[in-house]
Amino acid sequence: MRLSPEMSKSHLYDTSRFIPATEKMITEVKKSLLKLYQQRIKSYDEILDAQGQVKPYWKKLFENLEKLGINELEVRNQEVINKLRENGVTYNVYGTPDEMSRPWRLDPIPFLLEKKEWDDISKGLKQRATLLDLMLKDIYGPQLLIKNGIIPAELVYDNSGFFRPCFDVKIAAEKQLLMYAADIARGPDGRMWIVDNRTQAPSGSGYAVENRSVMSKILPELTDGMFVSRLSPFFTSLHQQVIALSHKQNPCIVYLTPGSRNETYFEHAYLAASLGYTLVQGDDLMVRDGFVWLKSIEGLEKVDVIIRRVDDEWCDPLELREDSRLGVPGLLQAARSGNVCIINPPGSSVLENSALLAFMAPACRFLLNEELLLPSIATWWCGQPNELQFVLDNLPKLIVKKANRKQVFRSKFGSSLSEQALEDLKKSILQAPHEYVAQEEISLSTTPSLVNGELEPRLAAIRVFLVAHDNDYQVMQGGLTRSSAEKDRFAVSNQHGGVSKDTWIISDALPAQQERMVLNRHDFNNPHTSLPSRSAESLFWIGRYGERVMALAKLLQIIINVLQERRRFAGALKVEQLDILLQSLTHLTLTYPGFLIEDKEEMLKNPYPELQSLVYDSYKMGSVASSLTSLVNNLIAVSDKWNYDTWRVIYQIKNSLNKIKHPEKSELTKANNMQKVLEKLSNRIFTFYGIVTETMPRESGLYVLETGKLIERILSKISVLRTIFTIKNETNIENDLIELVLINHHLLVQYRQIYKSHFSLDSMLDMVLLGQNLPYSLAYQLDTLGTYVSKLPKTTQPHRLNQAEKAVLEASTKVKLADINELVSTAPDSTFRATLDKLLADVFQHISDVTNHLTDLYFTHTEIQHALLGIIENTATHEI
Amino acid sequence: MKYNLIHTTSYTYFEKVHHYHSLVCLRPQSLATQICDDFSLEISPRPAQIIERKDFFGNIVHYFSVHQPHQVLTVTAKSTVESFAQKAPDYRFDMTTLQARVHLEKIKELRGDLLQYMLPSPFITWDEEIRLFAKSCFPENRSLYEGVRNLCHRIFSEFTFMSNYTTLYTPIKTVLRERKGVCQDFSHLAIACLRSLGFAARYVSGYIETLPPPGKEKLQGTDASHAWVSVFIPEHGWCEFDPTNDMIPQERHIITAYGRDYSDVAPLKGVIFSSGRHNLSVSVDVLPLKEEIVADK
Repeated sequence: MRLSPEMSKSHLYDTSRFIPATEKMITEVKKSLLKLYQQRIKSYDEILDAQGQVKPYWKKLFENLEKLGINELEVRNQEVINKLRENGVTYNVYGTPDEMSRPWRLDPIPFLLEKKEWDDISKGLKQRATLLDLMLKDIYGPQLLIKNGIIPAELVYDNSGFFRPCFDVKIAAEKQLLMYAADIARGPDGRMWIVDNRTQAPSGSGYAVENRSVMSKILPELTDGMFVSRLSPFFTSLHQQVIALSHKQNPCIVYLTPGSRNETYFEHAYLAASLGYTLVQGDDLMVRDGFVWLKSIEGLEKVDVIIRRVDDEWCDPLELREDSRLGVPGLLQAARSGNVCIINPPGSSVLENSALLAFMAPACRFLLNEELLLPSIATWWCGQPNELQFVLDNLPKLIVKKANRKQVFRSKFGSSLSEQALEDLKKSILQAPHEYVAQEEISLSTTPSLVNGELEPRLAAIRVFLVAHDNDYQVMQGGLTRSSAEKDRFAVSNQHGGVSKDTWIISDALPAQQERMVLNRHDFNNPHTSLPSRSAESLFWIGRYGERVMALAKLLQIIINVLQERRRFAGALKVEQLDILLQSLTHLTLTYPGFLIEDKEEMLKNPYPELQSLVYDSYKMGSVASSLTSLVNNLIAVSDKWNYDTWRVIYQIKNSLNKIKHPEKSELTKANNMQKVLEKLSNRIFTFYGIVTETMPRESGLYVLETGKLIERILSKISVLRTIFTIKNETNIENDLIELVLINHHLLVQYRQIYKSHFSLDSMLDMVLLGQNLPYSLAYQLDTLGTYVSKLPKTTQPHRLNQAEKAVLEASTKVKLADINELVSTAPDSTFRATLDKLLADVFQHISDVTNHLTDLYFTHTEIQHALLGIIENTATHEI
Repeated sequence: MKYNLIHTTSYTYFEKVHHYHSLVCLRPQSLATQICDDFSLEISPRPAQIIERKDFFGNIVHYFSVHQPHQVLTVTAKSTVESFAQKAPDYRFDMTTLQARVHLEKIKELRGDLLQYMLPSPFITWDEEIRLFAKSCFPENRSLYEGVRNLCHRIFSEFTFMSNYTTLYTPIKTVLRERKGVCQDFSHLAIACLRSLGFAARYVSGYIETLPPPGKEKLQGTDASHAWVSVFIPEHGWCEFDPTNDMIPQERHIITAYGRDYSDVAPLKGVIFSSGRHNLSVSVDVLPLKEEIVADK
């Protein structure tokens, strides 16, 4: 199976070896995919064994690919792309023009490893994890490695990942390094090498699961005749470990994310949702009385375990980086007191220093009394004189990195540097040798990838995942393979455009059935889910912004219709109606002066420029584009709340936003297009509402979203009614407007059925304000709002109405007690409908108050966190 | 000498603060040169608990948090400390500065322990300018001890002590250029100089008893927290020097904590949640206990 180590590199590059005679018979008729691929192989490739024979399971995969055909594969590839987009799988790339998230890329050709080889690799990985765990404990403990000269003291004390406050922050368990990930790649000797380590908050396992799930949905045929190991046991172990650490039957477990702008935010939400943990950000948590609490809308809940995706130094502004807004002040002390378990414990970034790779073999002998089972990539730390000299002498053959991963420094490949660049690099190294590490640029194996409709060899590395389990580690039976975007270039990082692959561990026979999630009953018996206040606030604003977009879209559509109609009369007709409607639009969106300017002749003649800006201008507060952006941001902020069906609609809503933000020039001028865009958008948001009410659990999350939606709906409908009807107009104008307002309330059909074509203000108001069982009537909306608000948790006085409920009740009562005749009447000699205006103004105020009450009751209070270092120079005392 | 120490810090906020987390490093240590007993920490508003621990450097720190809305926070640390006079080391036969540096480089085990005091730290970095100044203070053929004394003397005589001129974040090179600062700046500068030459130096945080002008009563709250440096001299181990006063710390210096620089030993660190600004006032009293009172006890 393996290349013998003594086999030279030049030998391997001899491509003729890779087309053995036996293959020819199968592929004679038509050039098979396998054959074509073999011709493209330039160096040694994953599909070939040491003798240049195609490995049996790769042969099997190629047979399956052949059956599918390259054309079908391309079709499926497109489906994969679509599926990932629909599922909202993204990877945020820093520094892109508008910091947009990039869709996750998945190559339909998986990376295959045979179970037997994988088991050997796993042994080596477990050994490495065990070793790193011991190193971690030693570095933050007795420091025998330094005292015995196994590792230079600089690698600890001059390591930006070493945090002194963490020396006594320990998990109450044998293992401290609970999660570990490594990047491995096949080196020239045919063995897998460890290229890099991730020890603080390893990323990628969620993407690995998502890759598997998409592959098995879209390309199930590829596994024909093969048995692929499952990924789920890894997560079972993780969960069991977490439960064990909490020492509780029903622990409160939170998944701490830096937020939706983090590059792997998708994964945070995905894993939190699939493991059933609450996704939180730093300000959702607080430390009080030595414990960590989750600020939920039901009050404070004690947190037992934090799985963190926030890097070490950001975890606690009190003891670590004082400018961090991502952490929780006092968190380290809570962990130190054993009141919360943080996975991995803060401080583990000390192991992410590449210089340590140079000392793994002696460390392994010292701590485990064993030889390393898996080689690390040959590494030289320039802080030692001999090593420095070696690096300077061999620069063209090496890759130079900074020892501390945090430092912004892209690896320099000596082989591709000019004379001048090499000289410059030498100079920088000599200036601070201890900051640099050099690694051998080894040639790694290639693996088939689908590139522009053909199978091409590409370099690849696999990220593998381990979790502590009992007193050992368990390895995920699979991983996240990433292949380089460019040919012959080993740059697999997602930040640089790498493509991911599903990773299959293959057995010939059905592997002994892996235990499925075997957890005690009570582990599932947790009927309660926490809703962090911040998530509640986002859900509330999803309701509000969603409805804000809907209200504006509806009114815009009505107005554009009027404009289109008017065209037939050369713009001469219905000027007054239009004027009133346009003013109402400005009031609704609060985009003053808008259509309220003094000299509006011009604007009335051609209102389109203003209308267009109300749709497309994302910098104009109140425009469709701006509200929609806020909607999408809030949707993403609570990513863990959505199922696949919801994601599909969110994806469409995002598409609408893209269309609106970046319209084609030609589209801008056409009123028709504006109509179409708005219509599509409304439909999508309606679909979103539908899925939400059909699928979301009847819990606070849904109630708070519905509350936001209803508040916005009530406010927007009142705004339109009030601006159109409080001043009396001529009957023919008013009748037109009545019809339009009925459309605005989705009530025209209902009205016609009752009143036929007789339009009168009192019947319209009767229906719009008081209508029973009409979802867009004010009375109905207020009742529904009251119901939802009453269902939100009551923390203080459960048997009394809270301020929000009182406000709704007052509004609803005022509407129900209204007398329609009074509402439509005006004082003699006046055109002002004072009663109507008063009622609408009152209701508007009460409902606006509801938002403030809800904010006080449930949402996070935005207080800014300040770090204070007792700065003595401001003091009144006299310094000596 | 025996002293009563009272160190009061109070924050006054313009707006109510709902949550405050703090790390306090105020307890004088018990060492060969001083004994601290009777330490108390009074905090208002009262926190639910105060957690005491030893930090990485062996200093005693206290953590507490306050969760009731407040506009004034007061932390008062009181202690009684007895300090002893020290004999100055005999440095007449010490190796030269040059030899000391070679010695430090050679001894690996020693380096492991000392390294963190030789490397740059959050508040202490240096450049060529600082190194040149340092070099000018250390004649290579004289002992390291004498060099440090010389450095302290240069700082004392060439620099002006001036409150409110520098802030905590004023770079050391500005201090060097402007030749102004307070004890903390001078200590940081001295440490930077020593490290730039390859020596190990620590920051010492503590107190000093001030004497009233002749013929006057000592006023309350006129003492101050103080800072000086501790340097590793191969023949004698860690030795302390006070560059601000150009003296070797004696009985009147009381030690609270050691660290790489101020950031490791800030007397009071905190994180508040509020929207507004704050005022800070600190008062320190180092009150010598009269012999008869001591005897009464």
